[in-house]
Amino acid sequence: MNFDQLKDEWNNNSAQHQEVSEDMLKIKEARTPIDKIRKQMKQEFLIQVFSLALAAFVPQIFDFSISLKSTYLIFYGVVVAFCTYYFYKFYTFYKHSYDLSIDSRKNLLWFYYEMKLNIELYKALTYIIGFIMLSFCATALFLTKNDLLQRILEKLSLVYLALNAFIAILIIGVITELWARFYYGKYIKEIKVIIDSLDEE
Amino acid sequence: MLDIQKIFLQQINENKGIIHKVAKMYMDNPLDQEDLFQEIVMQLWKAYPSFKGTSKFSTWMYRVALNTAIVFFKKDHRKVDKVSLNEQVEIADFSDSHEKEEKLAYLYKAVQELNQIEKALIFLFLENQSHKEIAQNLGITEINARVKLNRTKEKLQQIIKKNGYEF
Repeated sequence: MNFDQLKDEWNNNSAQHQEVSEDMLKIKEARTPIDKIRKQMKQEFLIQVFSLALAAFVPQIFDFSISLKSTYLIFYGVVVAFCTYYFYKFYTFYKHSYDLSIDSRKNLLWFYYEMKLNIELYKALTYIIGFIMLSFCATALFLTKNDLLQRILEKLSLVYLALNAFIAILIIGVITELWARFYYGKYIKEIKVIIDSLDEE
Repeated sequence: MLDIQKIFLQQINENKGIIHKVAKMYMDNPLDQEDLFQEIVMQLWKAYPSFKGTSKFSTWMYRVALNTAIVFFKKDHRKVDKVSLNEQVEIADFSDSHEKEEKLAYLYKAVQELNQIEKALIFLFLENQSHKEIAQNLGITEINARVKLNRTKEKLQQIIKKNGYEF
């Protein structure tokens, strides 16, 4: 195979190409992995904001007692504070533009770490909300079913209770990891494969 | 139309062959090629304010076009029609009977078996870029670019041979 000859033919190829029109500059959204992740995260956050707004009415819907309502509001306030912080972080990520005119290696590494960082942020927020919800459920049990709970606690060992708490946390962790891997992991994996093929000696 | 848009379109149209070639190198299906072509045009337009004119427009274009193609994923839901090598080249024969066209059609088909980086290496080589320029575009050392390019050429030769063609 003569590559020099091939190169000449490649460069002398006079195929007619379609013109780039003004309309092409307006169409559709970008389709890089970062844009796809951003779009998915945006959709999820809109759902979360909606859920958070709905959660404000939980005490009315379930007719909470005054003490339970006060406890709920404290937990709700903490969740809202965390969500505001993380939503701000994600908003800055969303607005963070990228520069495709740098070299491919830098470009791929930027995409890889930016995606990793944001998925980690996403997971952290999910863990936090999960833990707070669990804590609220435990507190609500103490407040509403104190007698029953005392009787149960007397019969159960501390090791058993600690094991249950650990398993509950583990389930939250596994679900979060699987969710993140299912929705966002494939992009990171594909970029990592490309980086590795670039780094191979 | 804004002046900046006019200048951009003029520059793009003078070099549009680069985008077409990149799209054909990276996607084998015409619909995916069209998608990638549009994506590259859009990314070039988005990145245009960062083009300071310190390098040639085409040099800047190579980078943006290749970087877009390297991280571009096909639409998940699209069913790709599998067209065999011979069928594809027959189509090329009808439209243009020249041997050169046939050779390029075989080349485009063969490069589909290369990975994203190997495609970039072959593309830059065919575009007359030196090892140093290839290394700069990909962000690797010149030696690494040379080694990788040689390996990719060998791989490409084997693919073409395997497909029953020789040139």
